[in-house]
Amino acid sequence: MWKKVLLVVLALVAVIGFAKTPKDTLVIAANTEIFITLDPAVCYETFAAAVVTSAYAGLTKIEPVNGVLTPVPDLAERWEVSEDGTTWTFHLRKGLVFANGDPLTAEDVVFSFQRVLAINKSPAWLFNELGLTKENMNETIFAKDANTVVLKTKPLARNIVLSIIAPPWGGVVNKKVVMANRVNNDLGEAYLTDKSAGAGPFIIVEWKRKEQVILQSNPKYWAGEPPLKRVIIKDVPEETTQFLLVQKGDVDIAWNITTEQAAQLRETKGGNIRLVTTPEQSNEYVAMNVGWGPFKDEKVRLAVKYAIDYDAIINSVMRGFAILNQNFMPIGYFGYIELNPFKRDVEKAKKLLAEAGYPNGFEVEIITSTTEIRRNEAIVVQANLADIGIKANIVQMPSSEMYAKYRQQGHQMIIAGWGIDYPDPDALAKPFANYRVKQLAWRNMWYDDYAADIAEKAGVELNDQKRAQLYKELQEYWITRSAFAMLYQPVGFWAVSNDVVGFERAVEGYTLTFDFTKISKK
Amino acid sequence: MKLGSFIIRRLLLMLLVLFGVSVLVFIIAKVIPADPVGAILGGNAPVDLVEDMKRRLGLDKPLIQQFTDYIFGLLRGNLGISLKSNRPVAIDISNFFPATLELSICATLLAVVIGMFLGILSAVHRNKFIDHFARVFSILGVSMPVFWTGLLLLLLFYFRLGWLPGTGRLGLFVTPPTKYTGLYLLDSLLSLNFEAFKDALAHLVLPSIVLGYSAAASIARITRSSMLDVLRQDYIRTAKAKGIGKRLIIYRHALRNALIPVITIIGLTFGGLLEGAVLTETIFGWPGLGRYIVNSLLLLDYPAIMGGTLFVAVVYSVVNLVVDIIYAALDPRMRA
Repeated sequence: MWKKVLLVVLALVAVIGFAKTPKDTLVIAANTEIFITLDPAVCYETFAAAVVTSAYAGLTKIEPVNGVLTPVPDLAERWEVSEDGTTWTFHLRKGLVFANGDPLTAEDVVFSFQRVLAINKSPAWLFNELGLTKENMNETIFAKDANTVVLKTKPLARNIVLSIIAPPWGGVVNKKVVMANRVNNDLGEAYLTDKSAGAGPFIIVEWKRKEQVILQSNPKYWAGEPPLKRVIIKDVPEETTQFLLVQKGDVDIAWNITTEQAAQLRETKGGNIRLVTTPEQSNEYVAMNVGWGPFKDEKVRLAVKYAIDYDAIINSVMRGFAILNQNFMPIGYFGYIELNPFKRDVEKAKKLLAEAGYPNGFEVEIITSTTEIRRNEAIVVQANLADIGIKANIVQMPSSEMYAKYRQQGHQMIIAGWGIDYPDPDALAKPFANYRVKQLAWRNMWYDDYAADIAEKAGVELNDQKRAQLYKELQEYWITRSAFAMLYQPVGFWAVSNDVVGFERAVEGYTLTFDFTKISKK
Repeated sequence: MKLGSFIIRRLLLMLLVLFGVSVLVFIIAKVIPADPVGAILGGNAPVDLVEDMKRRLGLDKPLIQQFTDYIFGLLRGNLGISLKSNRPVAIDISNFFPATLELSICATLLAVVIGMFLGILSAVHRNKFIDHFARVFSILGVSMPVFWTGLLLLLLFYFRLGWLPGTGRLGLFVTPPTKYTGLYLLDSLLSLNFEAFKDALAHLVLPSIVLGYSAAASIARITRSSMLDVLRQDYIRTAKAKGIGKRLIIYRHALRNALIPVITIIGLTFGGLLEGAVLTETIFGWPGLGRYIVNSLLLLDYPAIMGGTLFVAVVYSVVNLVVDIIYAALDPRMRA
C-alpha cells in the first residue's frame, strides 16, 4: 500500500516541469507588501513608484545625464518659461496617443495635474510647493490649445518645477477612461489602483495583491516599444526565498536581498548571477532634539558628531553598502560640496562636552524603528557615546509609532532616514535646514533663521551660479551647527541573473527613478 | 437536551462572543499608542496633510461616535474600507481567505492521516520500535520552528533536487483556473484545467508538509494516549475474549471511543490554521489571510485589523461549533 502511494507521489513529481523565464519576459521576485496603490496621483512608495513611472509618461522625465539626475523632455518636446520664472508653457509632441490608442491632448495633462490636487493625498504637497493648489488650480493649470499646457507657478528655480512635474505623480492619465470608470466621484482612484490608463512604455495589466504585478510593453509608446515584452513582479516576501529563486533561475532578479547575501555575492566570482549596486537617493542620520536638555548647546551636538564611528557603521553594520557623506545632499547634486569633517575623535568630543558643562556626560534616549539595521546602528552609536560618558538607552518601536513621536517633537535622539522626493537640492535643504516648512529641522526644534533664510532664497534663485553659491554657504553653515549627524548615503543592491542586460543603467538614480526600458535579456 | 436546541443555544452564545470580540477589538485598536495617519502617509509627510487625512478618516470625531459608526457598520455587514488598499475589507478578506482555506485543509488532512496513523500504531505497539519512532517524530514536530523547517525543505526539494516549485500558489506561466470558489484544486477540476490542478497541487506540497507536520505531531501524541486509555477498558478485554479480530477491535471498538480528545485537537488545529500561518505564508509567498492581517497590523490599517480579527473570531467560533456538534453527535452525554 505505502509503496503504491510513494510511486504515485514520485510519478507526480516527475511530470511537473518548471518553466525557465522566457527571453522577452523579465521576472522579478520582490516583497510587494508595501505596494498600496499604482495610481500616479496617490502612489508614494519607492518600488511602486517605479512601476507607476513605467506605465505613465509625463511632460518631463528624470534621467541620469552624466551621472546627474536631470529632468528631460518626454511628452513635452519643448517649453518656455517667463522671465520671472512663473509662467510655464509646455508644447506637446505631435500625434501622442495613450496605450489604448486614444489621442493624448493638453486636456489630459491638465486633468491629470488637477486630479493630484483634487485627490489631495501624499503627493499633493509637492504640487503645493509649486504654488498649485486645489483652490487655484483652474487658474494655474490650463490648456491653451490641444497641444499646449500652461502652468502658473510660484517663482522657483527651474529644476524644481521640471522635476516635480515628472512621473510618478506627474504621470498623465487618460481622462476619458478615468472618468468613465469613476465610482462615487473618486476621480478613478479605485479604478487606477491596480491597472493603468497611461501613455508610458508599459501597461499595468493586473496587480493581484500578494501574488504578482504584470506589466506588458506598450507598442504605441511615443519613443518606441521597449525591448521587454513582459515584466512580472512576483510577490516573494522572504529574502532567503528570493535568493534561492534567483540562484535557481526561476526569477531574473531578487529585489530585496539581505546585506549578508549581497556581501556573499560580492565575494563570489563567476556563477549565473551578479550583484548590481547603485548609490541610493536617500540618507541615514542621527538627529538630536535641540529643544531637549543638553542638545540645546551646539557644543554638545558637535561632541556627538565627533564621537560617532562612521567607518564602523559603514563597514560593519552596512557591510560596505553605504558611502560616507556627512552632507544632507546626496553626492553629485547641483551645488553639492564634499564636506566630511567628522572622524571619530574621542578626546575632542570629551573636551567639547566638558566645555559645554557636561564633563561627566548625561543620560539620553535614542528612538529608532525595529529593523535589524537600525538596531545595529543604534548599538554602535550607543557604544560610541558611552566612550565620551553619555549613557544612551535604545528604544525600538514600529515606524508608525516612532514617526508619531517624532512629529510631535517628543524624542530626545532619533536614528532615521530620508528618501528624496525630487532630484534638486531644494528637496533636502527645505526639510533639513528650513524649520518653517515644519519638517525635519522643525521636528528637531532647530529653529535657525539664518539657515531657513538661505534655504528659502536658494529655492527661488533663478540664476544658477548665485544659487550654487547660496547652497555652498548653507552646507558650510549647516554641517557644524545643525541638529543632524549624517551617518551615510545608502547603496542599493540587487541579485541579478547574467541573462539580464542593462540593469546597471536601469537602476541608476534608484529610489527616485527606475527605467525598465533600459533592460533586455540575452 | 435535543440536538436542535443544543445547536440553537450554542449559536446564541456565539453571537454574544462575537459582540464581545468586536468591542474588544475596537478598544484595543484605539489604545495602541500609534498614529494610523502617519502610517498611511509615511513618516516624512507634512503636518497639514496629516491633519487633513485625520478629518477625512473621521478620526477627529469623538470616540463614542466612532464606536457607534463602527458597530452600525458591522450590523449592515460593512467591515469598513481598508486605509491601505482603499477597498472594502470584506473584499480583501474574500480574496485572501480561499488560499488560506485550501492550505489549511491540505495541511489538516495530512496531519490527521499521519498523526492518527502514528498514534494508533504506537498505542498498539507500545514501547516497540514504532512507538519510539513516533515519539521522536512528535518531539521534532512540535519543537522545530516552522520557519526553519520551511527553509530546509525549500532548500532540499526545490533548490537541490528541483522536485517541487519554490513559492506561490501557481507557476508564473500557468493559466489560473476559472474562479468558482477560489480554491485552486477544486476550481481547476471544475474547469477541467488539469495543468493548473497539477501545478497547484505541486505548490501545495511543501507548505502543507510544513504546517501539517507540527499538527501531526500533536495529533499523534493525543491519539496515542487516548487509545491507550481506551485499550485498557473492560469492554475491550471482553471483545478480545469474545475472539473478535484485532483489527476490528482497534478500528471499530477502540478508535471510535478514543476519538473525542483527538477531534478537539483537530478542531483547534484547523481553526488555528484558518487564521493564516504567517511564517509559512511568508516563506512560501502564499497569498493568505495571515499575511494580510499581520501586514495590516504593521501598517496600522485599523479597519483591516478590526475586520480581519472579527473574521478570524467568526471562523474560530464556527469551527468550535462544528466540533461541539460532532461531540454531541458522537456522545449524547455532551449535550447537557
